[in-house]
Amino acid sequence: MRAYPYHRPTGAVTARVTAVRLSGPGGHREQLDTRAYSVVEQVVALGRAERDDWQTARLTLTATVPAREIETKGHWSDVTVVAVLTEGATNTRTVARLTPDREGGREWTGEIELDRDDHLDRASLVVHVVATVGGVEGRLIASTDQEWLIDMTAEAPLRDRDIDLSTVSFARGSEWLRSFRDAPWILDTAGRMPVVRLNSDFEGIVALVEGQGSKVESVIREMLLAQMGTDVWTAVFHTAIGDLEIEDDGTPLLPPDWRGEVLREMLPDIVPGRSVEDALREVHIRRTGEGGWADLQPRIQYAASRRAEVPRALADTVRDIERLDQETRA
Amino acid sequence: MTSRPEYLPERLALLSDVQAAEYISAGLLEGREDVPSIALNKVAEPLPGDEARLGLHRVRDLIDHALAKFQGERPTAADAWLAPRLHETLRLTRREAAEKRLWTYMALGVAPDYVVWRHLSDSKADSSRGRVARDKFVGPHYKQAFARLWWAAELFRNGSDYRPAVVACGSQDMLNSALRLDVIDHRPTALALVRLIEGGVVRTGREVNALTPAVNAAAATLMYDVIAPDVERDGEPMRDWIEGAESALPSPRNSLPEGPEEEGVPEKAVQRLVAHFEDLFADAPVRGRTSDESG
Repeated sequence: MRAYPYHRPTGAVTARVTAVRLSGPGGHREQLDTRAYSVVEQVVALGRAERDDWQTARLTLTATVPAREIETKGHWSDVTVVAVLTEGATNTRTVARLTPDREGGREWTGEIELDRDDHLDRASLVVHVVATVGGVEGRLIASTDQEWLIDMTAEAPLRDRDIDLSTVSFARGSEWLRSFRDAPWILDTAGRMPVVRLNSDFEGIVALVEGQGSKVESVIREMLLAQMGTDVWTAVFHTAIGDLEIEDDGTPLLPPDWRGEVLREMLPDIVPGRSVEDALREVHIRRTGEGGWADLQPRIQYAASRRAEVPRALADTVRDIERLDQETRA
Repeated sequence: MTSRPEYLPERLALLSDVQAAEYISAGLLEGREDVPSIALNKVAEPLPGDEARLGLHRVRDLIDHALAKFQGERPTAADAWLAPRLHETLRLTRREAAEKRLWTYMALGVAPDYVVWRHLSDSKADSSRGRVARDKFVGPHYKQAFARLWWAAELFRNGSDYRPAVVACGSQDMLNSALRLDVIDHRPTALALVRLIEGGVVRTGREVNALTPAVNAAAATLMYDVIAPDVERDGEPMRDWIEGAESALPSPRNSLPEGPEEEGVPEKAVQRLVAHFEDLFADAPVRGRTSDESG
């Protein structure tokens, strides 16, 4: 917990997106339907747009602030509520002021507009309450606990992301892929999101993974996907941990992109019972030569297989095989 | 020294970290080897389309000019000259500029000789060789040789006016310490920092290195956006400017180019923050500053 040298209200601030309007060239307008945003996930999926050439998205949002507490405690004056939209990858920050629906009201509404050219992947939207406290204006007195994510391309408003799977001929693909021509799949972590490249030259694998085969094939498919998942999670973990930014005092920083998401998800299984920041520091120290890196490998493998749901896939497979056996005998 | 690539295609391209790794040899980092340009361009992915702004030779000409102009000078001096001109030549959106693979290609495919010339450290007294840090080729936006210049020009310009960016790039400490901070994504904050350099309030590297963390720490409890509001962002001027690249002349070599005609930062907002940062700086611990100097 951060200690603040001034009074802050204890009540929660929440925000919800209530409408999304896109504009494009030639006066094109589109209102996204409610399936494009989820109050539960707190995600807006701009990939649901009908036309792909939209240029700006205008989000309407409502924030709820602890107005009664602010009024009765009386520490704060000149209260303003602002929505702040940021994306680290493009160093972009957009701010909009919200207005109360009535004087002293709990609900504040407003609109914030983002330009697609200013964003790459996912922007985060936070609402802050700002006030004059003890004679100092512009103090940040409260913020939303969880940010909204504005995903530029996703078609469904979900926080967790699946790793993309793409099918490509390794033999006829880029030079880099050609060196892996015998491999059934390879993980490509170079882009803004990791992608599994499935080798279409490897006979039968595409049909198997896309899964329109027999029962036996679907059993194998489950296992194969779990196996791939373990590979993927192991590789993304190593990619993320090997590419950390280090502060001047030696503190490793959580990366702002998918690498950070991977680390947040896996570190609790790798160094249990510690905060993500502590765990990151521990793993970083071990990896950079203080020893104990080898000891950590089983934990990394454990975390990866859990993420890939290997235990569940294996249990299902065992059961399915029994069932198939019974069917054959019957 | 690493030399100009023998083969330079017409278009800029993308190069991933994985692909780049093969070409960032110890020899290159020590400035002893060249990048095999034909092999590199076989794996790089050329940018589609035929927009003039994404042609390779306009950028390469600019870099050749910088190399000639600053030959015999300290390479750091080239940053303030190249940053606005690189920005004006490429005319990228922020979305495009967030593409790391473009900058990696710039460093390896377009101008590895420039990266080595600009970033080769002095060889140590113990006769070990000088070395270019690897992140000058493939690093984050505030480290990579060309990304840092482009982003400095983008974040420190005032609408079409690149002069504040020139000041920021003239101070290596400002460039290195401020560019990595999120606070400068707020334009009045970035310009106020520049004003403190211009006004001589902060002069030495130590002073800059005391100021920027203080400004950043204060932003955790103060909303600069509220006390010093900027105008609303508008993407149209940038789109027009990018379209204008088709008929644009090469970036002027002697006078400053002009950026997109975006609305400037409200002067009142900058002044408000200048006053605030001066107060912060007066209280900030500066290495080597005694208390009576700071009074």
